[in-house]
Amino acid sequence: MEQTVKMKEPKNLSPRVQWLRDYYFQGIHRAWNNQYNCFSDGKPWDYLFDEITYYIVPETIAFYQTYASSSLQTAIPIEMPPAFWKLSIKERRATFLKEAIVNHVPQEIIPNDLLCGARFNMLTSHCLSRKQAKDRNRLVLGPNGSRRREVEYYYYGFGNDGATSGHLIPDYAKILRDGFESVYADLQSRYEKLSPKDRRTAKGAQLRAMMIAATMPRELAQKYAQKCREEAQKAPTEARRAELETMAADLQIVPWKGAETFRQAIQSLWLTHMLVMADENYPGPGVSFGRLDQYLLSYYQKSLAEGMTVAQAKDILGCLWFHCNTAYDAQIKVGNNGITAGFGQLFNLSGCDADGNDLTNELTYVLLDVIDEMSPILEPKPNVRLHRKSPEKLLDRVVEMVASSQGAPFLLNFDERSIAGMLREAKMGGVEDRIHSANVADYASVGCLENTMVGNDRSGTVDNNLYLYKAVELALNNGKDLTPKKNDLTGVVLPIRQHGPKTGTLADLDTFAKFYEAVKRQTAFLVRHSVEIYELSERVRAKYGNTPYLSTLVKGCAEKGLDITEGGAELGFVTIEAVTFATTVDSILAVKYLVYDQKEYTLSEVRDALIDNWEGHEIMRAKAKNKAPKYGRDEEEADRIAEDYMAFFARETWKYRTRSTHRQFRPGMLSWNYWASAGFILPASPDGRKQGQFFSNAICPSNGADTQGPTANANSVGKALGGKAETGDFQGYLNHLPNGASHTITFNSSLLRNPDHLSKFKAFLKGYVHNGGTALQINVLDPEMLKDAQAHPEEYKHLLVRVTGYNAYFVTVGRELQNEIIARESHQKY
Amino acid sequence: MRVLQIQRMSTEDGPGLRTTVFFKGCPLRCQWCHNPESLSGQIQKEWIDVRCIRCGTCVSVCQRHALTMGEEGIRWDKETCNFCLACVKACPTDAMSAMGKDITPKELADELVKDKAYFGSEGGITFSGGEVMLQHREVLEVCKLLRKEGISLALDTSGDVNYEAFEVLLPYVDLILYDLKLIDSAAHQRWCGSENKIILENLIRLANEKIRLWIRTPIIPDSTDGEENIRGIATFLRDHLIRFERWELCAFNNLCKDKYQRLGLEWRYRDTPLETSSHMGKLTETAQSVLGKNESISWTGMTRIEEEQR
Repeated sequence: MEQTVKMKEPKNLSPRVQWLRDYYFQGIHRAWNNQYNCFSDGKPWDYLFDEITYYIVPETIAFYQTYASSSLQTAIPIEMPPAFWKLSIKERRATFLKEAIVNHVPQEIIPNDLLCGARFNMLTSHCLSRKQAKDRNRLVLGPNGSRRREVEYYYYGFGNDGATSGHLIPDYAKILRDGFESVYADLQSRYEKLSPKDRRTAKGAQLRAMMIAATMPRELAQKYAQKCREEAQKAPTEARRAELETMAADLQIVPWKGAETFRQAIQSLWLTHMLVMADENYPGPGVSFGRLDQYLLSYYQKSLAEGMTVAQAKDILGCLWFHCNTAYDAQIKVGNNGITAGFGQLFNLSGCDADGNDLTNELTYVLLDVIDEMSPILEPKPNVRLHRKSPEKLLDRVVEMVASSQGAPFLLNFDERSIAGMLREAKMGGVEDRIHSANVADYASVGCLENTMVGNDRSGTVDNNLYLYKAVELALNNGKDLTPKKNDLTGVVLPIRQHGPKTGTLADLDTFAKFYEAVKRQTAFLVRHSVEIYELSERVRAKYGNTPYLSTLVKGCAEKGLDITEGGAELGFVTIEAVTFATTVDSILAVKYLVYDQKEYTLSEVRDALIDNWEGHEIMRAKAKNKAPKYGRDEEEADRIAEDYMAFFARETWKYRTRSTHRQFRPGMLSWNYWASAGFILPASPDGRKQGQFFSNAICPSNGADTQGPTANANSVGKALGGKAETGDFQGYLNHLPNGASHTITFNSSLLRNPDHLSKFKAFLKGYVHNGGTALQINVLDPEMLKDAQAHPEEYKHLLVRVTGYNAYFVTVGRELQNEIIARESHQKY
Repeated sequence: MRVLQIQRMSTEDGPGLRTTVFFKGCPLRCQWCHNPESLSGQIQKEWIDVRCIRCGTCVSVCQRHALTMGEEGIRWDKETCNFCLACVKACPTDAMSAMGKDITPKELADELVKDKAYFGSEGGITFSGGEVMLQHREVLEVCKLLRKEGISLALDTSGDVNYEAFEVLLPYVDLILYDLKLIDSAAHQRWCGSENKIILENLIRLANEKIRLWIRTPIIPDSTDGEENIRGIATFLRDHLIRFERWELCAFNNLCKDKYQRLGLEWRYRDTPLETSSHMGKLTETAQSVLGKNESISWTGMTRIEEEQR
């Protein structure tokens, strides 16, 4: 078939930015790259790779040993003086990292680049004593250690948990304004106020470590300034020489002092940001920028007044875009594996203020232009905040970009619903003094769509991924697995085990109310179990994974004298991201319909059908799929149960805090890609899904269940989150999930075919503000194009698809997910 | 009242985003009709092959033994079947499904109000067909309920009804989508099953009411797609001073092909190719040559353009 659909191409880029973008996409063929730089303290018990932060990517478990050994083998030893070993771990970590990145990682300047700060992907020594290393190994690798428990938890089908790096918004605005100088001064004055006795405590050590860390950006900037001056001597043109000299001059100022110009602001932002990734030994996921168009505006306006052109501003932003993407170089020589999805260095645009007024400004539109012109590209990832007073001009631009790209090149966040969730969090978490009506509109999103406050909040937005459907499985077998599970790594069959409470034999569950209560009790157990498993990694990170540099960028750490990994942030939450929501609700609905309402089958017959993976039960399965009510159709009964179950799950999460760090658990629905893999672990479900078929994604209705179209789909999502009521937390809105919930709708491209239709699509978005969820990912797919991409992947290297709010290059995702995306193209019956 | 289907987030039945209700029953029998299942006022049923798992449930629940399962799937004897719909209710896969259902005005209004947030200032609800005006008394009840919600309402009508029906609904309606298919009455009789006298008279009267008017003309190969017909309609609109907001020439489409097959009906347009965009453009020019160059006259729909390029 002849190709009639054109892929989005970058456009209007300056020669500089075009060169950088092309250079980035040369990938492995580039002369320069940003793969991990590994440094060890030389001790035989040292380790660099920290598996804890990858527990939430369970398919990597098989490679932990390889990563650990290979990173050590390639590591450059840095001999530290004997005095070093008298310092606390915190200070050793800060000192070692600073030494490594300032004096051992080469400072390089990319041709044509206007920003310094090239290499930042690091794996660095944990700087433990022999005794500490032994303790850590016991906690991680011991018989009751985090790894064994995590693996078992995963293969039994509960989900995955792990204290994960990134996923927060540091206080970048403060650094841009006041520089690290002020951070250092604040730390110093706090330290000086400590009594000599207190200085010897962990608190004193923490402040000292943070002081060391706060000087790292200055020293690195000086190194880069020196490099710029050297390069200026050899510059091929006068123009390039001038650029390099300006860069050198800027680096004499930022990030140590506050920025004066737009260019200094972006340079300060980039160096500060990349050092977070270096500090955490984590290439970027979820380290987000917050409201870029708000806190960069004053620098932008000032520089424009002083003669900067819009084109020059875009040039600097283009350089920032380039650097953000180099995070993916971490394992560039290994190939694409593991790096198929957006890392989510997210930034927000637009949105409302405390009074509900719109904050769109001239820079918002410049940034949208940059997104449009650079697209398709993965980083940084934009999220546009819409609300009831979003201006028509912005909505028109948003809709136009959706139409001209392959779906939206950004996520959309919806302020009213999101803010209602944040205010709920304030109440439930007892932090109404920190989150309240005057500041809640300053919230921003992390990673994809996970709402948090800015600069003082780590909400562990990807740390717990809980498969709710496990509760239905357990309820159908009195708290035991329904089917045996298997450890895919070893091939060992895991015996059926009594995990949950005994909630009744099937004979006991003789009414729907009893069955539903059993599912709820098992759900409560799942949440508690998740909290227990999470603790295993949280405590290890708190003890041996401190990140003093990141702590300097998060309010609360200096005040409490606690590292961010120890719960230092003013706002410390951990999110339980529920997965398989719609399948679970639809399963409850199907059991209600088949067993209790129509009385066509007994509960035992349904259970047997699931054990048989529906083989030989085709008629029952067809009824479950086609006759039973489903969530996602804007139908009262189904959506009422969805909301009730949602509220129950949310209530359970608020009951817990981490023991080691006192962080409050909170609910969310992100799902990442787990809804696909979970389908192979957990058995068939009463809604007609077979084992091996995917679960529902985040808060989306089950695949194909949304037969009433996008408006009904969106209405159901809004209702499941709590809908609206006079008792609403914010202007009548309710939201059980402060974190937010991922909602993807795939629209047929015909909806966007002409200006008349674009205005109709705009009407949909305005309606979504009122009725929908917290966030929306818009996909526009042409199935023919996708099938062609399957057949000719080489022609579609850059074809982006968006699932659950993360972007992925279509040709790099697995065949099954590809087929799934194609199936979602239209809202037909399945 | 008897409804065929409720289509939410409709983009093709008037301005803005709309919910469209298709009613059962139509006075006309246009040979190209795209919704043949809407013609009869009776509830009908269809069997959809790809959904069927050949479980035979429908055959076994039929008390009159009207259904059989054979090589070609499920068939029912039209004489024996009394449309009790037991087979539809029992079918596990919805392969056997009913076309049309009875619903109260209150139930319908409750369903239609669900998408109010998406209608905005432009969109709303469109009552379409079959022919909505055949059930105008019940529709009036729905209109009254929806008017309280401040939702904009539109009628999509063939016009082949007693004008009193319009008089009943006009106070509640903001927009009428009015079908004008053929200007020649004999041709109208031949292709649509009745003369167009009432249709034209009703349009003249409606044009004197304070209401927004969109004219729609299906452009069907060899029947309505002649330049003469379009010039005739345009002349009529001009001579009777009919002020319309839009006149849409809607290109023939063949997506309903399998509907005819499922209803067991022959469709004379089964193998008819789509119109070409050049012909659609020419007809638009013809209309404009009579009424003046006018952006409110446009053509819509799928054309043969892709095939031509290939």
